[in-house]
Amino acid sequence: MVLRTLLNRLLISLIVLVGVSMLIFGIARVIPGDPARIALGPNATTEQISKLRAEMHLDESLPSQYFHFLIDLSRGDLGTSLYTNRPVTLDIAEFLPATLELVFLAGIIMVSVGLPLGMLAARYRDSWPDSLIRVFALLTVSAPSFVWAVILMLLFAFYLPIFPIAGRISDIYEIERVTGFLTIDTLLAGNYAAFGDALRHLVLPAVALSLSGIGQAARLTRSNMVETYEKPYIEMAQAYGFFPSRIARSYAFKPSLIPSLTIIGLDFAAMLGNAFLVEAVFAWPGLSRYGVAVILRKDLNAIMGTVLIISITFLIVNIIVDLLIGYLNPRVRYSTRGSA
Amino acid sequence: MSALLDIKDLKLGFNTLAGYVDVLKGINVSIKPGEKVALVGESGSGKSVTARIILGLLQEHRDALVSGDVQFNGQNINTLSPKDRASLRGKDISMIFQDPTSSLNPVFTIKKQFLEVLSRGDEKLSRKSRVDRATQLLGTVSITDPKRVLNSYPFQLSGGMNQRVMIAMALANHPKLLLADEPGTALDVSVQAQTLSLMRDLVTQNNTAVLFISHNLGVVREFADRIYVIYKGNIVEDGPTHCIFNNAQHPYTRALLAAVPRITGTGLPDVPEVSDEFLAPYVGHMQVS
Amino acid sequence: MRTLRILARNPLSVVGLVLVLLIIFAAVFAQYIVPYPTHNGSVIDFAFANKPPSARNWFGTDLVGRDIFSRIIYAYQISLTLGVVVLAVATPIGTIIGLLAGYVGGWVENVLMRLVDIFLSIPPLVLAIAMMGVLEPTLTNAMLAVTVVWWPWYARLVYSIARAEREEGYVLAAEVIGASAVHISFREILPNCLPAIITKMTLDMGFVIIIASSLSFLGLGVQPPTPDLGSMVAEGARYLPDSWWLSVFPGLAILVAVFGFNLLGDGLREILSVDK
Repeated sequence: MVLRTLLNRLLISLIVLVGVSMLIFGIARVIPGDPARIALGPNATTEQISKLRAEMHLDESLPSQYFHFLIDLSRGDLGTSLYTNRPVTLDIAEFLPATLELVFLAGIIMVSVGLPLGMLAARYRDSWPDSLIRVFALLTVSAPSFVWAVILMLLFAFYLPIFPIAGRISDIYEIERVTGFLTIDTLLAGNYAAFGDALRHLVLPAVALSLSGIGQAARLTRSNMVETYEKPYIEMAQAYGFFPSRIARSYAFKPSLIPSLTIIGLDFAAMLGNAFLVEAVFAWPGLSRYGVAVILRKDLNAIMGTVLIISITFLIVNIIVDLLIGYLNPRVRYSTRGSA
Repeated sequence: MSALLDIKDLKLGFNTLAGYVDVLKGINVSIKPGEKVALVGESGSGKSVTARIILGLLQEHRDALVSGDVQFNGQNINTLSPKDRASLRGKDISMIFQDPTSSLNPVFTIKKQFLEVLSRGDEKLSRKSRVDRATQLLGTVSITDPKRVLNSYPFQLSGGMNQRVMIAMALANHPKLLLADEPGTALDVSVQAQTLSLMRDLVTQNNTAVLFISHNLGVVREFADRIYVIYKGNIVEDGPTHCIFNNAQHPYTRALLAAVPRITGTGLPDVPEVSDEFLAPYVGHMQVS
Repeated sequence: MRTLRILARNPLSVVGLVLVLLIIFAAVFAQYIVPYPTHNGSVIDFAFANKPPSARNWFGTDLVGRDIFSRIIYAYQISLTLGVVVLAVATPIGTIIGLLAGYVGGWVENVLMRLVDIFLSIPPLVLAIAMMGVLEPTLTNAMLAVTVVWWPWYARLVYSIARAEREEGYVLAAEVIGASAVHISFREILPNCLPAIITKMTLDMGFVIIIASSLSFLGLGVQPPTPDLGSMVAEGARYLPDSWWLSVFPGLAILVAVFGFNLLGDGLREILSVDK
């Protein structure tokens, strides 16, 4: 049954992915001007331009162009970046791990801080812990992550020099690249000092990235739990004298976590976008630096590749969230139709 | 014999956005150990909140104002500390709710919830002996395959089955008082009747006092020794069940009686929605016992 | 009366209302209230360049000597205009699509909602960045990009409500007496979606400001010398920690404005849901 849910989910994701590719393709084709001319720069000759136009299938009809795009895509070929002169897949493989490392840690922080805060607020609703958490959560969602990045950097890297100012790791460490995740590669190399250093570099960007997610998660958990507290089964738990803390942590939290998860998945997606902002402040060598560079150069293949890879990451996260919901919600786990 | 539960001049009001609302206007209810008493009235009459006050839940509500005496087993629940109140719940006082299926937590198995209730009674009991006890208790409510039921989630069981589970849970720790708030109203009439007779047999065996809350005089007739009729926050009439059924004095009680469907009935009874007569003074029948 | 009592119970939403009104007032009458009305353009005053906050310049001056406080107020003009335009376009589009999908159902529902799913499968900021990547960085294009990102959220919100309302008795009653689909969608179902839409719009004003400032932070939005909160932070961030005021005050300006809209939106949600 879980397998069926998974297959169903994969199929829908595939359809959505085709749609996303069409959308991205469409955006790339509304570009004013000739992509080939933009790519080659002002000094290119007419022959050079028409040669590149033919290579990029720019002279063919739009559906035919899209068809070529799909064929290449299915072979894992996202074309060549006009900016780096390398296959886009290679560029992405180089820069994606740094971004994912940042986003994963931010996601972990979001869930492990946001959910307990929401739970606390719901349990003590309408009293001071609730008000305090409400204001904190509202504040965190009220500024873009680059503002938090600037403030955190100023406070905890400059005024109180606890964390490094920028980058992923100090220059003194030479770590062999295996996964591209520095926290993993340093451990693989058995270099614990380098691991600590990489982790310290991660803290501020990850916290800056997670702050608005923490607020969202806390608000969502609170409101879902407050709703759950009105349910007869919570009254029953109270009528039977179960401990309030136990009711909060287990009897009220678990049923309200299930509807929260979908939105938490979306917040995670928002982080993939907000990583662009945080990376810019902390000079984090991730996908964003690459993305902004290729955007400013109107490097179409690279833009499409970057957006596509982020969308795929997001779809994978969504599938994981759905599986998690299936695991947590017995109704889904035991239903033969496999839908919630 | 002295009363197990003795409610004197109980008043309840709520502070709402629309201002102060009077819900209970000074009611008196008394239940002896092992006695089965019904509290009957229409929705909004204040009968369900009475149960929440006996459990001590409303006293902890921010906008609720409770006054009067609620003596249970020699303690005034209104003046107990929240902790002492909580220690009565699930042990000395227990409750059965209107809709069994939505009163059980949807994301936990019956087993997890049942074991939690049992550990309220005796925290030191091992898991193994709690499972055995739960299995045995489900047997007492005529569940033939307790293993399967214990491993099920509420949505996998029928409403009647969940109701049996609720009854078994409610009586698991040998409470002195069972509050039954419209039990089984959400179920089919035949299933409701089955589970009610099951409940009546069990509470009689265990000598558990019951406060049965209902809007339907017909349902409580077979069940209750005595009946309190409540209307708009006031007890308007009380007395032994046979007195209420054969010799109702208060106009509201009579209206309620007229609403009880009879097999030989001639269409819908004619009950006025509101009548000034319903505000007539309280009628008490002599206690025969 | 009831509204007043709810407001009194939520002093925070009153704070939000005051903040929002103040910001709107300041933005509308910017020319008359800012200390340096000409500083919204490419004025240069090197004698006062890069000065920390003082009595003359409350929030300090930027690298060419312009008053940051004045520029923040002018930047509010841009942010609010952008927010209002985006919501004024995205909300009706999303609402109509959501109503159609939710009430009509069938293949219309499938096609429209899959389309919405596609848009929602790209993180909002990434989609906006991608659009700005191929468009020229102007205010109009930024509005366009954010609108394209925004409408699907309204479609999904209205869709979920409309789908639930479709099963309600009053809709069935309207169908029985032969009301048209248009009448049922707009006259019967839409009014039930309005409280949710209005609350979402108030909260979204803040989020549109965030996403628009994020675009200009990356250099993909409004271009200098037009003052914009995002690009001011981006420029100032290069001079941390010494010239901290360059980035911190514009950043806090975003925080204050969005916080105001969020407080107000939260209060509205409570007021509108109490009536249910």
